[in-house]
Amino acid sequence: MERSSPLASLPSGDDEAVQSFFQTLVSGLSFGAVYALVALGFSLVYRTMGLVNFAHGAVLTIGAYVASTFYLSARLPFAVAVPAAMAVTAAIGLVIERVLRPLENKDFDLMLIGTIGAGTVLEAAAILIWSSSGRGVSSPVQTTPFDVGGVRIPAYNVVVIAVTAVAMAALTLFLQRTKRGAAMQAVAMDHEAATAVGIHVGRSNAISFAIGAALAALAGALVGPMLYVSPTMGDSLGIDGFAAAILGGFGSIPGAIVGGLGIGVIGAFAAQSFQGYSDLVTFVVFTVLVMIRPTGIFGERTVNRA
Amino acid sequence: MSRSPSLPAALRAPQAARAGGLVLLAVAAWLLPYQLNVYWISVADIAILFALLAVGMGLVMGVAGQVNLAQIAFFGVGAYTTAILTTRDGYGFWTAAVLAMIATALAGVVVGTPALRVQSHYLGIVTLGLAVAFIDWITNAPVTNGDSGISGIPAPPLLGINLSSQYLYYYLELIVLAGGLAFGLFIVHTPLGRRMRAMRDDPLAASAAATEIRPLRMIAFVLASVYGGAAGVLYAGMIGYIAPETFSIADMFLLLAMVIIGGRRSLAGCVIGAVVLTVVQQQLINLAAYAQLGYGLVVVAVVVFAPAGLVGIPGRFRSLYRRWRGSTGTSAVLEPFRPLPVAPAAAAGVTPGEPLLEVSHLVRRFRGVTALDDISLTVRAGEILGIVGPNGSGKTTLFNVISGFYRPHGGAITLNGRPVSGMRPSQVSRLGVARTFQHLRLFGNLTVADNMLVSLDRTRTWWSWRYLCWPFGIWRYDRALKRRAAELLADFGLAQFAGMLPGTLPYGIQRRLELARAIAGAPRLLLLDEPAAGLNGEERAQLAMIVRSIRDSGVTVVLIEHNMGLVMSLCERIVVLDSGLVIAEGLPAQVSSDPAVLEAYLGKSAVPSPRASEAPQASEASQ
Amino acid sequence: MRTRGLTRDTGPTGNHGGGDGQLLSVSELAVRYGGVSAVRSVSFTVAPGQAVGLIGANGAGKTSTLRALMGLVPRAAGSVWFGDRDLAKVPARDMVRLGIGYVPEGRHVFPGLTVEKNLLLGAYARRWDGATRDTLSTVYELFPVLAEMRGRLAGALSGGQQQMLAIGRALMARPVLLLLDEPSMGLSPRLVEIIGETLRRLRDEGLSLLLVEQNAMLTFETTTDCLVLENGEIALSGPAAELSRNSRVRSIYIGV
Repeated sequence: MERSSPLASLPSGDDEAVQSFFQTLVSGLSFGAVYALVALGFSLVYRTMGLVNFAHGAVLTIGAYVASTFYLSARLPFAVAVPAAMAVTAAIGLVIERVLRPLENKDFDLMLIGTIGAGTVLEAAAILIWSSSGRGVSSPVQTTPFDVGGVRIPAYNVVVIAVTAVAMAALTLFLQRTKRGAAMQAVAMDHEAATAVGIHVGRSNAISFAIGAALAALAGALVGPMLYVSPTMGDSLGIDGFAAAILGGFGSIPGAIVGGLGIGVIGAFAAQSFQGYSDLVTFVVFTVLVMIRPTGIFGERTVNRA
Repeated sequence: MSRSPSLPAALRAPQAARAGGLVLLAVAAWLLPYQLNVYWISVADIAILFALLAVGMGLVMGVAGQVNLAQIAFFGVGAYTTAILTTRDGYGFWTAAVLAMIATALAGVVVGTPALRVQSHYLGIVTLGLAVAFIDWITNAPVTNGDSGISGIPAPPLLGINLSSQYLYYYLELIVLAGGLAFGLFIVHTPLGRRMRAMRDDPLAASAAATEIRPLRMIAFVLASVYGGAAGVLYAGMIGYIAPETFSIADMFLLLAMVIIGGRRSLAGCVIGAVVLTVVQQQLINLAAYAQLGYGLVVVAVVVFAPAGLVGIPGRFRSLYRRWRGSTGTSAVLEPFRPLPVAPAAAAGVTPGEPLLEVSHLVRRFRGVTALDDISLTVRAGEILGIVGPNGSGKTTLFNVISGFYRPHGGAITLNGRPVSGMRPSQVSRLGVARTFQHLRLFGNLTVADNMLVSLDRTRTWWSWRYLCWPFGIWRYDRALKRRAAELLADFGLAQFAGMLPGTLPYGIQRRLELARAIAGAPRLLLLDEPAAGLNGEERAQLAMIVRSIRDSGVTVVLIEHNMGLVMSLCERIVVLDSGLVIAEGLPAQVSSDPAVLEAYLGKSAVPSPRASEAPQASEASQ
Repeated sequence: MRTRGLTRDTGPTGNHGGGDGQLLSVSELAVRYGGVSAVRSVSFTVAPGQAVGLIGANGAGKTSTLRALMGLVPRAAGSVWFGDRDLAKVPARDMVRLGIGYVPEGRHVFPGLTVEKNLLLGAYARRWDGATRDTLSTVYELFPVLAEMRGRLAGALSGGQQQMLAIGRALMARPVLLLLDEPSMGLSPRLVEIIGETLRRLRDEGLSLLLVEQNAMLTFETTTDCLVLENGEIALSGPAAELSRNSRVRSIYIGV
């Protein structure tokens, strides 16, 4: 994944090192916010359905394309295009869940592969509808970047971080304060007991999946102006987001945020120090961390004893 | 009396008809290039390479049950190592090829290491991440020339044959594929492959049958990597030019689709899937997106409707047809049990009456619940000991700690004087402990005979080096196992079911199979967890007879049971558990009139008796 | 201590059981898992306001009977009627809306949610309004320890507390009939007594009970009529008082 060097020209001196550090940090946090959104979607679906959704990245791609289509072609304001894209993608999520429903709670590995298949279909659909050449999306926030002590912070990055914070707050409120949110968590913990109290497990899973898809779409729509929108953008963003979710503790909402920001920052510094090898470094670090602590920072155990 | 019956059909070597079919296939494959034009021969060459990759995937995913999304990276390691060593360092092709294979095997070890700790989706993301890391490296490292790739890789020299011709290269690839497929099939149908399949079907039961899970997982990944590396070497030699775009995540998913659509559990299915999808992909090269859409949809359809893939379809038609005809499936009949040869426990190295298993002050907690609260008991060699108690009293937990599935939080277990608490289940099993499970744990995708063969095989995993150097020894050992399996199946009356899958059998027969499988391991101590559950009166009587015969053949038996009639008649001594404590032990007659036992089962009478008010409320602490 | 407000005044058809007057009618119920017959043939009824016990050794088919009633496992044969409603067509998730509450074997609380959230989820089929809040306070009065622990995660509770939570959760839906599966399992005798007292109080308030238990004494003290299951069939039945003196019960459990 391309990450441009954040420094064009800077005055020389000791400040340079500190500024460089913070510049990289800002870049890392901005992308980290996007990864956090992706990780939120992964974690939500896992926490409520016990399903690992390998189609998440492709859903993100679709979201990015739909949002940019609404924004660029239909000329809708960005703030309208994004929710519209989220709605469309949520509908796609409902379809995927319905198709894969027979496998829920039964064969885990097959379900995994089923989502990979669904992801492949979505990516192909993106190429067919929008061509494989990709598109650039102009930033919807055309103001001058903030300058904090020599560190340049694009206004749009602030928007991204703010939206992520709002999304996390909204999701947490939804899960903790609403009846439907409580029901979704109950289904993941004990789907039979949930049935006994009257919860429709299939419908609950469908809503989980739809919300997860909407979060992926949000991430894709937001990252459009930061990156190039292309049919394969979901691949690397999806993998980074998945790694973020696992690192923070799979299923945990604060974990998704911490993991996302962590992966973003690790990636930014890796890009800074290792140039093109950022993916390599990120994933080697990730593999080592997962082996040391498979539970993640906040999360749950799946280690075998045999 | 002869104890070696003729091998049942399921255990005999493949028939002549199958061998004939293979010959025909080989001839057809050999003659194929004569029919193909330049375009199609290149498709065939690519198809064979994908088939080789697919067989590797099949071994690690379908046979061993490990999620592996890094196969494309193994392909890349093989190709790039060959390319770099030949173009940059001037090695000859074959030397480079050997070094490339070593490099790929090392890569297999690296990718397999996380599999020792994590499984399923975690393993999926880790292997995928490692593949991404590899792709990142080849795209950026100077030694690989980045996006430009490496060109000028020489074709392999072979006895003067011009292998830069795609037609002739086809034969090189075909020979490698045939060899690889044959080796793969050899593994699948011999002890190593059987253990992998058992591990895939039920890792718990497998480890209780002396299967070492971790080494097996590592072997599976190294196998996959070797096949991937071989394909990479061949690819480099064929095209002469490699670039990162060949080793993309998209191709990884295409490979996954091949294996799923073809049928991951069958190596032949993997080959078929690879060939079919390669042809489709090449034909639709100008409609690549449509092709991708297509195979994505087919993968979803296969996963939901036909998980066994293309090769599983004939089987489904067969069972649908059978169901339509109304037959219940089998005319095979359970034959009478043949008493096992009598041998005193002394033959197993223990003195009858002496303690064989000693449990002292065992404690095991789960999340705040104390399942075993200081349990001490002794099992004497040659006895049949019964363990009873109300629901939730800790009986199965006790078995699980003894077998090694859980580590105790306190106390110790010794087997014949040797401490075993904290050992892995496979170690405990090798020391002579076998068990059955409350909820029947048979290897569902292995035949009845294979279930027995897994348990009969008591070799260590590192013994598998013979696969590389001395396969004849493996073959001979396998034949010996099969003879022994036939004997045991006949003893237990299961000979007619040898070739069937356990899931198709009536429940009582499955129970007997689980018992036979446990005995196959030649244990000194047999733990039976509710062996009579779900059996009718006649089956229970037969069970009692079988258990007595097992004991008479030198095996000490401990059984958990709820059917008190069976316990009273079968067990010589009884231990009663309640809430994680031993509340009574002794002869059946003593125990059944013990007031504490009556109370544990039937409950305390509402009218407070003088005894009840004196008794300390010790169980308050268990709240 | 109030327990009013925990049961509905009306049954499934507007009065206390329609049809032949029985609240629950089970006729020749059979349950199979794979090839095994867990329940061969069981028939019984529960009248409005009656407490019926189903006892037997482990493996006798008690839990399977209850799960089949709730629709959590398929019925191989037989029919189940709730008032004048055939339960064959009712999915498991709608049982609670008919007025059937279920306390599963092993408690099955939602471990990652608080006690209060667990209880509120019991009222999932209702609106979470003032009436539900009233029911909640009634449950807290019935089980004061739950009120103390209302903010704790259910997974951190002891076995006895979880059992009370499971019962309270089922009561939140204000059921007409309460199905309980081995509520005494793994509990100390003192807690078993408390559970027994609670169930008797609920019964006296008009709640119909179907109690599945391995603990025969608890059942005899709590219910008016009992059935003893053995190998998937009813071996004995009759008034609890009579059965408590019947030595055959002991032999079914203990084998002598």
